[in-house]
Amino acid sequence: MNAPSSSSLAGHTASGVNRLREDALRELPHLRTRYADAFRPVTRNGILGVMLAVGLLALFITGFAELGFSFAKMIAGLDQLGKFVILMWPPTPGTMSRFLLFVHALGETVAIAALGTVLAAILALPFGFLAAKNVVANRIVHFLSRRLLDTVRGVDTLIWALLWVNVVGLGPFAGVLAIMCSDTGALGKLFSEAIETANRRPVEGVLSAGGGRLAAVRFGILPQVLPVFASQLLYYFESNTRSATIIGIVGAGGIGLHLSEQIRTLEWQHVAFLVILILATVAVIDALSTRLRSAIIGSRPAAT
Amino acid sequence: MAIRHLAAEGFLLSIRDISRQFATKTAVDNVSLEIEPGGFIGVIGRSGAGKSTLLRMINRLVDPTSGRIVFNGVDITGLRGRDLRRWRQSAAMIFQQFNLSGRLDVLTNVLMGRLNHVPAPRAVLKLWSDEDKAIALSALEQFDIAGLAAQRAESLSGGQQQRVAIARALVQEPQIVLADEPVASLDPRNTKVVMDALLRINKHYGITVICNLHSLDLARTYCDRLIGIASGRVVFDGAPDALTDDVARDLYGLEAEDVLGKAAAMPHPQAAMANALSMPA
Repeated sequence: MNAPSSSSLAGHTASGVNRLREDALRELPHLRTRYADAFRPVTRNGILGVMLAVGLLALFITGFAELGFSFAKMIAGLDQLGKFVILMWPPTPGTMSRFLLFVHALGETVAIAALGTVLAAILALPFGFLAAKNVVANRIVHFLSRRLLDTVRGVDTLIWALLWVNVVGLGPFAGVLAIMCSDTGALGKLFSEAIETANRRPVEGVLSAGGGRLAAVRFGILPQVLPVFASQLLYYFESNTRSATIIGIVGAGGIGLHLSEQIRTLEWQHVAFLVILILATVAVIDALSTRLRSAIIGSRPAAT
Repeated sequence: MAIRHLAAEGFLLSIRDISRQFATKTAVDNVSLEIEPGGFIGVIGRSGAGKSTLLRMINRLVDPTSGRIVFNGVDITGLRGRDLRRWRQSAAMIFQQFNLSGRLDVLTNVLMGRLNHVPAPRAVLKLWSDEDKAIALSALEQFDIAGLAAQRAESLSGGQQQRVAIARALVQEPQIVLADEPVASLDPRNTKVVMDALLRINKHYGITVICNLHSLDLARTYCDRLIGIASGRVVFDGAPDALTDDVARDLYGLEAEDVLGKAAAMPHPQAAMANALSMPA
């Protein structure tokens, strides 16, 4: 078979098509005057964009300089990093009883993440709707619910954990409460944004049939946003499994406690084993949530 | 050498025994066609007959399960990479749902048709040459929508959007235009405007047009050759005059009376009223 050549495939040789190009080039001076905006080499938006980019770059460089960013320090520390890696090999829990202890703690961490996320979602759902402009027209309600979510979100999970440990004592219960609090703020904001980008048409359809506002939300908006909610929720569950590790360090239960203990006692092989255990768990959760997500979203009929 | 022979006979596009299977369904079943340059060819048939798959296979948006497509002596069924992109540039596609990038302005959408004429880094940075802009604007002028060049594509009406899509196809400087149900989502007035735009591409620039159409009336008005497809097979191929109502009935089955647009196909008003008033048993 012949190799395709530009002359046989591309249109330049066809006599008729050249007409478009010839006409356009002959008309070029007139087109230039008629559509001056289209031919302007630099637009105002373009100049603003470049200025913004330059400004951001300057800010970025200043930031690095201020924070003492130094390649020299990184390179000097590399051999230290290498030593840790050698000390970590081979990863092992040491004894069988310690292995079981680690697995139990990991289970606790996953449980903290799951319970915390579900509780956060339940609390975030009403706030998500209250904070969405297209559901609640009342500006005061809208403003108050937004600020409430901001405030709750503004306090990090770790801080919430420290607070709750002092209130309800050490243990996983404090961890669940910490995740619930910080993620109510985050999920509430994400939910309200998903609701605001929902298509208006199904809502109009429900209203036009005589439905009330509640029905419009239930049948017009909820079916659209549920898959988005589910997908955000699953991501948060995965992310919280990692967060739950960290809050364990301050005494809110789970595997984090063991992790910090092993680091303190310089048991690097145990540390490596714990890290691998956490990585494997997060990977499994990710795989499961991908499946769950596609099951919830369902297959849409392709456009015909 | 058969290819040379066909090219000498003046066929632009030669489709040979192509089939396409989707899971268990055969969308296109052993179709062979010869397309001469300069024609306005209508592909007709009921929905689901395989018209779209046939057109999409020519542009290589869908790959055939078996068979070959030969254009100007070149087998395009195996093209990849740069060669494939060059082929797609010369076989411009027009879609039922326009397939524009709604948030981009009209001019940029039309300039998408110049992508294969411009080095990739320039295109990505939107550094279009004045020549490309002139080509795009004069294409838009021909379809009376150059004034909308700076607007977002999604703010336009359906008929305007389809004309933008046709301008995009034209500036590709294609040798053939493949229109897949281009008027199926348009009202009667816009249907005429869009079909006239396609006719202009065909008559003024001499570009071959292959157009999937549901409506037989339109096909008879605009096309100089009709290809009827049923269940993935070619069941009619000839001049519009040769397509008798009987053939059309075979082609469309139960839908025939709708597409033929015969008044007789409608139930008598009184009968319809009686039917509407009758209670279900």
